[in-house]
Amino acid sequence: MASIVRKQAIPIQGATVREQLRAMDDSAVVTAFLGGEERAFSELVERYQTRLLNFVYRTIGDREKAEDLVQEVFIRVYRHLHRFDRSKKFSTWAYTIASNLAKNELRNRSRSPLVLFQTVQKNWQDDDRPLQFEDSTSRPDDMYRKRHLREIVEESVAKLPEHHRNVFILRELEGKSYEEIAEITDCNLGTVKSRLNRARNSFAEIVAPYME
Amino acid sequence: MDCREFQDKHFIFVDDTLPGIELVRMQMHIGECETCARHDTMVRRSLMLFRSLQPIEPSADFSEKLQRRLREAKAADAASGPVSSRSFATAVAATSVVMLGYIGMSLRQVDTQPDLTLPPVVATLPEGFTDAVTSPAPAMVASVPAGLPIWTAALFAEQAHAHFVSADLTLIAATR
Repeated sequence: MASIVRKQAIPIQGATVREQLRAMDDSAVVTAFLGGEERAFSELVERYQTRLLNFVYRTIGDREKAEDLVQEVFIRVYRHLHRFDRSKKFSTWAYTIASNLAKNELRNRSRSPLVLFQTVQKNWQDDDRPLQFEDSTSRPDDMYRKRHLREIVEESVAKLPEHHRNVFILRELEGKSYEEIAEITDCNLGTVKSRLNRARNSFAEIVAPYME
Repeated sequence: MDCREFQDKHFIFVDDTLPGIELVRMQMHIGECETCARHDTMVRRSLMLFRSLQPIEPSADFSEKLQRRLREAKAADAASGPVSSRSFATAVAATSVVMLGYIGMSLRQVDTQPDLTLPPVVATLPEGFTDAVTSPAPAMVASVPAGLPIWTAALFAEQAHAHFVSADLTLIAATR
C-alpha cells in the first residue's frame, strides 16, 4: 500500500527465506515485512489463518462469512501494519481486529432479519453435508453419536451471550491469558474473569443433560 | 471455605493458577461438599468436550481469494491515494473561497445598508406645552414628598394636555 512506510528490504539470502521467516517470532516477521519483505506477510497469514478462522467461526457460527471476515482481517493488517504498536503482541492486535469484525457482523445480523434467515438456511445446508470430522473407520453409531455431540456443543456455545462467548472462546479454544483477553475485548481484567466464570458455568449447565 | 468462596474461585481453580494453599482449601472443600464436587466435575467435563472440537481449516481457495482481495485493495489504494489527497486539498481551497466570499458579502451588506429614511415630521407645539413638561405644577411638587396615591392622578391631570398633543403628533407622523 502507498501508506506503508517502506524501508530497504531486509537481506534474507537464498532459497531459505521462508524457512528463515518461519524460524522468526511474530515481532521479527512484522519487522521484516515493514522492511520491505513481502513474503513476511504470507508467513503471518500462514501462522494465523486457521486460528483466526476458528475463533471467528465459533463466534459467529457461519463458516463462509467467517472466511470473509478473516480475509478482511488480513487486508487490514496489510494496510495498517505500519501503525501497529510493536511494543505489543502482534497476535493480540490481529485477534482484536477479528473480534471487532465478528462483533460488527453479529450486530448487523441482529438488525437484519434477512441475514438471520440466510444464516439459518446455511445451517440447514450444513446438516446435509457429509460427515467431516469423524474418523471414517468408526462404527456408524459412534459416528452418529460424535456428530450429534459436536452439534450440541456448537449449539451450546451459540446459546451463550455474545460477550460471554467471546471471552469463553478466546480462553478455552485459543488459550489466551486473561490479560490478553482484556486487551482484545477492551474490558478490564475483573470483567474478563467474571464473564469467563459465568460463561463456563452456563455452558456446563447447557451441555450437562447431554453428557449424562 | 464455604460454597460461595468456592464458586468465586472456581474458574482460577479450573485454570490451575491458584496458589498452593488455596488449591488445597479448594480440594478439601470438594471432598466435603457433594454439590460443589458435582459442579466442578460438570464444568471440567464440558470444557473437555468443547476443547475437543475439531478445528476447521480454511477452504482450498482461501489463499487465492485473499491474494485477489489484496491485489484489489492495493490497486484501489494506488488509484485513490494521491487523487484523494489532491481532491481533498481542492475541496478545502474551494470551501475556503466560498467562506471568504460569504463573509465579504455579509460585511459589504452591513456597510452599504441604507439608513431608514423617514418622512420629516411637521408639527406645531401648542402654547404652554414646554412649561407643563419642564416645570412641575404646584400640585405635583406637593405630592412627591407625601407619597400619597393622589400623586399619579395629580401628575396625569397636570400633563393631560401634553399627552393629547403627543398623541396628535404620533397621528400626524403615521398618516404622512
